[in-house]
Amino acid sequence: MAMAAVADCRWSMASLRSALPSVAVFPHTPPSFRIPLAAFQSSPSSSSLSLSRRPRTQQLGVPYTGLSPLNPLLSIGSSEYTGFEHHFTIIDNGCRFFAMRHGRRVPKLNRPPDQRRALLRGLTTQLLKHGRIKTTRARASAMRKYVDKMITLAKEGSLHKRRQALGFIYEKQIVHALFAEVPDRYGERNGGYTRIIRTLPRRGDNAPMAYIELV
Amino acid sequence: MARASEPLIVGRVIGDVLDSFTPTIKMCVTFNNKQVCNGHELYPSSVTTKPRVEIQGSDMRSFFTLVMTDPDVPGPSDPYLREHLHWIVTDIPGTTDATFGREVVSYEIPRPNIGIHRFVFVLFKQKRRQSVNPPSSRDHFSTRSFSAENDLGLPVAAVYFNAQRETAARRR
Repeated sequence: MAMAAVADCRWSMASLRSALPSVAVFPHTPPSFRIPLAAFQSSPSSSSLSLSRRPRTQQLGVPYTGLSPLNPLLSIGSSEYTGFEHHFTIIDNGCRFFAMRHGRRVPKLNRPPDQRRALLRGLTTQLLKHGRIKTTRARASAMRKYVDKMITLAKEGSLHKRRQALGFIYEKQIVHALFAEVPDRYGERNGGYTRIIRTLPRRGDNAPMAYIELV
Repeated sequence: MARASEPLIVGRVIGDVLDSFTPTIKMCVTFNNKQVCNGHELYPSSVTTKPRVEIQGSDMRSFFTLVMTDPDVPGPSDPYLREHLHWIVTDIPGTTDATFGREVVSYEIPRPNIGIHRFVFVLFKQKRRQSVNPPSSRDHFSTRSFSAENDLGLPVAAVYFNAQRETAARRR
């Protein structure tokens, strides 16, 4: 009697598919990662590959469990997948993608922000004072921006710009000398007020060194 | 030897001190067994004595004039005293060194006070012997004017080094 009951409870994959006609469950993906089967079936009217995405309203109910890789090779032998559109279908889960910060690197100089700013202020002050200093190439490249900025402030010459320069350069008399001299010296030059000349590496740690000077 | 002038262009020696030229003679400047190369830094304590300047000319019948100047006095940011003359030696025979020449202006020890200074050695070829007159002053010296006044033409060799004021730790 019990054996007959067990025999009656037998099931097959075909009966399971008939019971769940609208949802495709892939064998090697998590059970919560379900995609509507209609998204993969090609329309019988068009013979060419149609890559049109479905409206977003029909995909709102689809749960998203991370970027689980959907291997198209697993579905080639299946009878349900007659077209190849499913290889190219994009799952749009409604999230926004932001541009990556390529090339927007801040030269950090192995220092926290406050120390880095103090270092660059000191280097800028010394360069404007002495005209030519020797430092590492990384520091020279990093400070170049700020030296050019100070000279640009001096070219504009207003009281507001002078106070901005006084807030950056450590020595007050250098600012006044800078504002007095720069309009004549760099009046015709648009940017590029410094020159970096590479020199021998430092003896102690072989750090690449350079001279940076005002043009 | 045209590429030998490129460090002089990068270091603005050609422009601030000299006009563009093509080096034709090799000159070797040595301070205490340390050879001077373009753009390298030497400490003022290592250049207190006269350097050994060897000229590899064609023959001993050609004569040369050596000039050493500092175009960055009093400081590189505002060199209003440019140039300061440190040394002039004339009538140096080819294939010899500066000790065989006639010292017109004695050697003055480099004392850079503000910033990093360039010290330039310039070698001119003379048309004839004993044709160079000494300048009146060391300050506001012009290598171009000196060359024109003494009919020396363009330089045949040049080399420069950098120096800056030493800290107390360096002098110890």
